[in-house]
Amino acid sequence: MTAIQLTGVEKIYKGRVHALRGVDLTVHPGEVFGLLGPNGAGKSTLVKILMTVIRPTKCRGSVLGKPVGDRPTLARIGYLPEHHRFPPYLKGRQVLEFFAAMSGVARKDRQRRSAELLELVGMSDWSEKKIGGYSKGMRQRIGIAQSLMNNPDLVLLDEPTDGVDPVGRREIRQILAHLKEEGRAVFLNSHLLSEIEMVCDRVAIMVQGKVLRQGTIGELTQGVGGYSISTTTELTAEHHEVIRTAAGERETVYESTRVVIQTNDPGHIQTAIDALRAKGVVLSSVAPVRVSLEDLFMQTVEADESHGRPGAAQNRKGDRR
Amino acid sequence: MILTQTAALFVDAYRELNARKLFWITMVLNLLAVAIFAGLGINERGPSFLHWTFDNEFFNTGLISKELFYKLQFTTWGIPVWLSWVATILALISTAGMFPDLISGGVIETMLSKPIARWRLFFTKYLAGLLFVTLQVTVFSLGCFLVIWIRGGAVQPSLFLAVPIVVLFFSYLFAVCALLGLLTRSTIAALLLTILFWFLVFLVNTSDNAMLSQREGAIVRAEDARRNLENQVVFADRRIAQLQADDDPPRDDDGELITDLDEQRVFANSALRASRDRLARAEAAEQTWTRWAAIAGYVKFILPKTQETIGLLERNLISEEEMRKLIGESTGFDPGTDEPRGPAMSDPRAQQRVQEILRSRSLAWVLGTSLVFEALCLGLCVLIFTRRDF
Repeated sequence: MTAIQLTGVEKIYKGRVHALRGVDLTVHPGEVFGLLGPNGAGKSTLVKILMTVIRPTKCRGSVLGKPVGDRPTLARIGYLPEHHRFPPYLKGRQVLEFFAAMSGVARKDRQRRSAELLELVGMSDWSEKKIGGYSKGMRQRIGIAQSLMNNPDLVLLDEPTDGVDPVGRREIRQILAHLKEEGRAVFLNSHLLSEIEMVCDRVAIMVQGKVLRQGTIGELTQGVGGYSISTTTELTAEHHEVIRTAAGERETVYESTRVVIQTNDPGHIQTAIDALRAKGVVLSSVAPVRVSLEDLFMQTVEADESHGRPGAAQNRKGDRR
Repeated sequence: MILTQTAALFVDAYRELNARKLFWITMVLNLLAVAIFAGLGINERGPSFLHWTFDNEFFNTGLISKELFYKLQFTTWGIPVWLSWVATILALISTAGMFPDLISGGVIETMLSKPIARWRLFFTKYLAGLLFVTLQVTVFSLGCFLVIWIRGGAVQPSLFLAVPIVVLFFSYLFAVCALLGLLTRSTIAALLLTILFWFLVFLVNTSDNAMLSQREGAIVRAEDARRNLENQVVFADRRIAQLQADDDPPRDDDGELITDLDEQRVFANSALRASRDRLARAEAAEQTWTRWAAIAGYVKFILPKTQETIGLLERNLISEEEMRKLIGESTGFDPGTDEPRGPAMSDPRAQQRVQEILRSRSLAWVLGTSLVFEALCLGLCVLIFTRRDF
């Protein structure tokens, strides 16, 4: 049984805004799954559909073996919404116990779990203080504890490290690792690529309401993103011209003593090597360049015809020639 | 699970109200109102407050019993002024934010992600809002019950009817407030629009009462005119008979005998023509006011009957006999001997008829139509709440 299995999820809002355009996605039990995407890609909409906050226009699939939208199944899911706002008149412990009661957790278990989880997220000392006086990071910790109160089989966390300091982030990563060890599935929505890279087993990249890539980080970044040619001397405009001619249409990134030609085929760089050597340039190294998750993300976003953040993409292109 | 969730929502509603302080402020104001009520009294010299007595020859225990005095104060001030206006406005201010707050971003997502049906979440929240008024009215009623018992010497368990009746009255407004809160997502807008709606209901009620008074006044006047005309006819017939007995039958200006009976009557009684004109005017007025009263009645029919709902308590606390006596004493009018005076709508007979009509409106009409209105509002709320994407 998969934790989440979705096929062809679509959401069209009033006003004909096409937020999701046929999302296919699989999350396995016991894995940490990361969903990446630029702002407005539809990540939160997808999570909200899974949590019945938004009704899909079209949806086939299951969550913990039950159809999407099955209400009793929600008792087995933990959820931390993005920009959550807990009632400011409640104390930290009361927040946990209130939402646990809403999930149907018995009083005894609520009291026991709240003490355990407050300890886990490092908020025991603040448990009897009202949420209104908490910092953003503290609220986020309480939010994470809240999502775990019902001892869920699946946890959906929307930007869990938002507003949390580096120490807190490390603690959250440890909590995620702990959940994974316990065999729970974790679905993580985050902008922070480095974080996703550190904790996720599998990722999906969503752009403009579509999942464009999905798999383990190893699968997605396998192969080479290009070849780096390093020189002992600084490259001049004349050298750039030689390389441009040799590389043809392939994207090329120039640095002072290094040039990266994006290709998977080592044959493509031989002409460039020969041309540089013909100009008397001494090469110090030629090495394949592995694709990072960030590179993969940017490539995916920019490859999409209507990518989410044209401004950002243009800024990056400004570094290239 | 249902019980756990319901209990959690009720406790949360209490915490929310508690945090707003208004709950306790209203509670203190309620107790203050009960204290003032306890300070009021009546003796053989007149009404009193604490140890001061205000001499009044028309309002003392010689005319009104202590028991009736306290019941009257409760039904005249306690329910329609205090609970129906002051406490209701405070309750609306306290609860108007419940639904806009619930559906605000960052709150609703967490709530809807729990295994509770949206309609059940809505209704539990709605009932939790009514809890505020229930607690306030219960405290106020208990205080008044003790005052009437200790100071008035009467045990009035029916006074606790105020709890369901006032809660029901508040529920009409709260249903409108919830609907407006869901539509506008704003506490201020929901509160102001609800108060505006309440004012509209008040205007319709006032118009309905005014139209009823006008109609009943016109009917009374028409009946008077009809009776007067009949008397004039009898007088005319007697006069004709007398003229014929004296061998002096009615004749016109040319000395010709008048054969037509009607003309004979006009000849015999010159006031007959004026009486007929008065009857025609009275009947026209009756027709006009009947039409307007019907229009006001139709408009009122679809709206909640706030005034009548509160009036149900008065019906139960003060008997018709006591009410008739009070109206008679307050106007000094005896229908058996006195002539009507003043405008038709202020005719005491018309007032009495209006009171009878208002009191005769059935429980099914008062509560049934109001509950249908409330059910429609709540149905619309549930439809919006269950179908909206948050």
